[in-house]
Amino acid sequence: MPGFDFSNHNRNLALHARGVPLPKATSTGTTIVGCLYDGGVVIAADTRATSGPIVADKNCEKLHFISPQIWCAGAGTAADTEFTTSLISSNLELHSLSTGRKPRVVTVMTMLKQHLFRYQGHIGAYLVVAGCDPTGAHLFTVHAHGSTDKLPYVTMGSGSLAAMSVFETQWTHAMSREDAVKLCAEAIQAGIFNDLGSGSNVDVCVITPEKTMLMRNYITPNVREKKMRDYKFQRGTTAWLDEKIIKRGELGKYVTVEEVKEGGVGGVGERMEVDQ
Amino acid sequence: MALRIVPSAPHPTATPTSIGAPSAPGVHDTLRANLSLSAPPPKAASLSTSTTTQSFHPLEARLSRWRAQQDGLKMELLRRQFGIAEPVKRGMEMSIVQAGEWRPMSLGFGEGASVHADILAGRDTELDWEDVYTGGEMRETVDFHVEMEGHFGMAW
Repeated sequence: MPGFDFSNHNRNLALHARGVPLPKATSTGTTIVGCLYDGGVVIAADTRATSGPIVADKNCEKLHFISPQIWCAGAGTAADTEFTTSLISSNLELHSLSTGRKPRVVTVMTMLKQHLFRYQGHIGAYLVVAGCDPTGAHLFTVHAHGSTDKLPYVTMGSGSLAAMSVFETQWTHAMSREDAVKLCAEAIQAGIFNDLGSGSNVDVCVITPEKTMLMRNYITPNVREKKMRDYKFQRGTTAWLDEKIIKRGELGKYVTVEEVKEGGVGGVGERMEVDQ
Repeated sequence: MALRIVPSAPHPTATPTSIGAPSAPGVHDTLRANLSLSAPPPKAASLSTSTTTQSFHPLEARLSRWRAQQDGLKMELLRRQFGIAEPVKRGMEMSIVQAGEWRPMSLGFGEGASVHADILAGRDTELDWEDVYTGGEMRETVDFHVEMEGHFGMAW
C-alpha cells in the first residue's frame, strides 16, 4: 500500500496484549508566537528540542521555509512539522508555477489544514503560518487536527500561556516593526523562562512585502557559562621518553639474537625453501 | 449516493436485528419471528452475527479510500449538475489515457502514477506521501530495456 505503512499495527497490538509496554507518548515543549504589525508580520520561536525530560537539541530551528515570503513556526512532533512544511512547500511551489502567481498565505493554510485533517491528528504538527502576499500580511495558526485560527497575535506550544500573557498585556493596535519584534521576543522569553519545555535562544523572522529577514538567535539569554575549573592538562605535563640508547652488547636483554653463518648449515629449519 | 467528503468509518455503525434464537444462531425461532400470517416469514438471521474482528489502525481505512471517496464525490456532483454525460465522458477520457500511456518503471512510475491521468484528475500540482512512498520500494526494479521489450513484445 502506498503512503503510510500500517503493516506493523496488528503485530504491535498483539505484543501489547502479551505485556510488552507501548512506547510512551512524549510531551513536546515549545513556544512559538506570531504578531501582525503595520506593514508586515513577525513570527518567533524558542530553540529547545525536548524528548521527554531530556533536552535533545539546545539550538534547533523551529522556523520553517514555505516560500520566500511565507514562513512557518512549528510545535509538536519535530519530524512531523519539518516534513509537513517541506511537503506543503513543494506543493505550494507547484501550485504557484501552475497558476503563475505569487503564493498566498490562505492557500498554505488551506493546504495544511486539509492535509492535517486527513490524518486526524496522527501527524502532530501545530503550526503558526505567517506571510505577506499581494493581499497583505496574514497570520494563521493550524492545529494538528486541522482547525485553524486567524488572529492579530497568536501563540502555540506548551509555552503559549506564558507568551499569550505578554501579548494580552502589551499588545497594541498598529505597532511599528521594532515594537512588534521586541514584543515577540519578550513573549518567547516569557516562554523560555516560565515553561520547562521551552528554552535556549530566540529566533525571529520578520516578513514584509519586500523582503524576509530571518534573525537566527536574535536573543541568546542562556549563554553557557564558562566552567570554573579546567581539566585540560598543559602541554608537557606528562614525562615521556624521547630516546633510549641500547648498546649492541646489551641487545640480548631485549631480543634473542642468533648469528646465521654464511654458506654453512646454520639451522636446518631456517633455510629458505627453493624449488630444485 | 450520499455526498460524503471523508470516507466512512470502517467499523459497522449498526448491527442487524437477529431473528434466530440466541442460543442457536441461524436456526429459525418461531417465537421471536413474525407470527402474522399476512407478512412473509422472516429469513433466518445469517451467520453474520459473529462479526469479523478487524484490528486495523483507525487511519488505515480512511487513507486507503481517501482518493476514491474524493473522486466519487466529484463525479457525483458533476452528475447532478451536468447530467450523467459529464462523468461518463471524464471516465472514458481517463480510461483512454491510462490505457495508452507508456509509464516506464525505471522513471519512478509506480502503481497508478501517471502524468496525463494526474492532469485529468486535477492532481498534477499535488504531491503527497503516496507519491513519495509508492509502496514499491522493496520491489525488484525492472531494467528499462527489459520492460520496453516486454511492452512491445520484443522478448524472443
